[in-house]
Amino acid sequence: MNELPHLASIFDRLRRGYHLGPDDEQFSALSERYDDYARYFEALGLKLIRHPREFFYFEPDNPETVPDTLPRIAVFSYIIVDHAANQGRPIEEFVFDQVFLITALPHLSMDRYAALLRDVEVFDMGHINTLLNQMERIGWIRRIGEDEFRFLRPFHRVLSKCLEITQSAQTAQVAADTPVET
Amino acid sequence: MKVNPQSFFNFCASHTSLLRKLAEHDGEISEFETIRLVRINPAIEELPETTWRRLRELQILVPTEPGSDLYLMAEPVSRLLAYLSNEANAATPEMIRGYVSSLETTTKRLDRSLDDQDIQEVALAFEEISQTLRRIHADLNETQHAILAEVARYKTERSRVSVRQKYQRIVHWMERYVEPMIEIVRSDGPLRPAFEEAERLLHRAREEALFNDHPALARNLRFLRLVGVHALRVFTQCRKEIQPLYESLRRSSFIAEGAARALEKLQTEGLAKWGSEYLIGIAMERYQNVPSDAAIALTLRRIVEHPPEPPPFLEFAIEKENPLALVRLRWLDSLPDTVGGILPVSDLMAWLVSTYPDRDTSEIVAAFGLLVFHRDFHATFVDEAQHTYATSDGEVKAFPLILAST
Repeated sequence: MNELPHLASIFDRLRRGYHLGPDDEQFSALSERYDDYARYFEALGLKLIRHPREFFYFEPDNPETVPDTLPRIAVFSYIIVDHAANQGRPIEEFVFDQVFLITALPHLSMDRYAALLRDVEVFDMGHINTLLNQMERIGWIRRIGEDEFRFLRPFHRVLSKCLEITQSAQTAQVAADTPVET
Repeated sequence: MKVNPQSFFNFCASHTSLLRKLAEHDGEISEFETIRLVRINPAIEELPETTWRRLRELQILVPTEPGSDLYLMAEPVSRLLAYLSNEANAATPEMIRGYVSSLETTTKRLDRSLDDQDIQEVALAFEEISQTLRRIHADLNETQHAILAEVARYKTERSRVSVRQKYQRIVHWMERYVEPMIEIVRSDGPLRPAFEEAERLLHRAREEALFNDHPALARNLRFLRLVGVHALRVFTQCRKEIQPLYESLRRSSFIAEGAARALEKLQTEGLAKWGSEYLIGIAMERYQNVPSDAAIALTLRRIVEHPPEPPPFLEFAIEKENPLALVRLRWLDSLPDTVGGILPVSDLMAWLVSTYPDRDTSEIVAAFGLLVFHRDFHATFVDEAQHTYATSDGEVKAFPLILAST
């Protein structure tokens, strides 16, 4: 167990919410010996998750108070998915196959999106930049210079959440449509 | 009215771009709209009004109903243009079912004709079977062509049609054409028994020498087998083409729906009611008040180096005197039994102060209250003037009261 490579740096990054993906140097070690790392962290009360799209993160706990960052990241991410859907291209292709110019993002240029962002206290490009920095810190995006960024594989967590929401709504709809026997 | 073929094709030859635009126009078209298209796609040395007149004379455009101002491109012309431009219209499953049903009817007729040895009727039925098979074959090919063209269009299309709309369209193709067609043409579908029956009767016609065009008979038998196999292959291929697109769009559509639901909820109910179900949790380990390694080491060293000493001594000796409160409580508890033996008491307060002269005023009053309200006794005031009773530390003024048992 002591021979687990990059253990300190992996632990240090994951515990701060980072998602380790193929762009990170520790990824291959984690990928090869996932079970060993998972066992090691389990003894510390931490659950190491391996996402089906092949990246790693610590299972989040459910804090009583939600940090302000989470709703902001969620709204920002849902907007990009909604925008992608309106472009008519498969979402994953749209999100992962291009570099985004920060000033060309639809978030503040469309009134509906801007209003949604105001709900989470994101008002201007400065706030968007802060948000992108936070997303970079958790390994969801990588900035390219000052003006551009691209989404990294761990952004699949947002897409998984979208699928979960749809599935849950459909299940609720089926339950509502099922007649109750009296 | 018959149309002169030479005039028709001459007109078509000099108006190809106009015909193309008319064919692309969906549904009914007015005179105004047609003339607009004519002006955009002009023919050499011809007035738009002349072109408009010729379009109607040559029956390229026909009124939607007699006397109507709206026109449609005549169906044969549409088909001709589709054929010329290599476009295809998908046959619906109902059309294929219609062919199968027609084949079943014809084979029944052929069966009867063979029983009756009616050679003329056998020839007619044979011809009908051939035609039906040719139509099935042509329509299957055209459907495959249409589906593949649609798939190619989806793959290359970059128009701003939303993912959900695209998904709905591909679902339409999948559910309207591909799956129902496979149901018809697969080995246990309705096409197979109709074909087998037709084949059996063609064999019978040959054996009974009621149809002597043996090469045509052999051709029809071959065609029957070919169409059966071809149909299944065509739609299996179509499904293979369309399935990945269907899956990809299905996933994208579901993802888009989830994001839209989350945003809609935020829009309608605000952040306060958005709830954690829409958040994507992220591990945020916060270490507060955690001792450092040095602090842990220091504590351990202190434990290890702590000099041994005996455990603290606890005093278990019994107290010699009862607490005053306990003594008072026990006295009060004993009163009902004491007074119960001497009832009735003509003046309760007088009895208390004389019996317990050492008790202070508060104890006397507490005893008085306890006995007056005790469930086993009944207290009644005496019609006398107020008395003053002396206690160990003062005096009490009260009206005399008789205590009796209930």
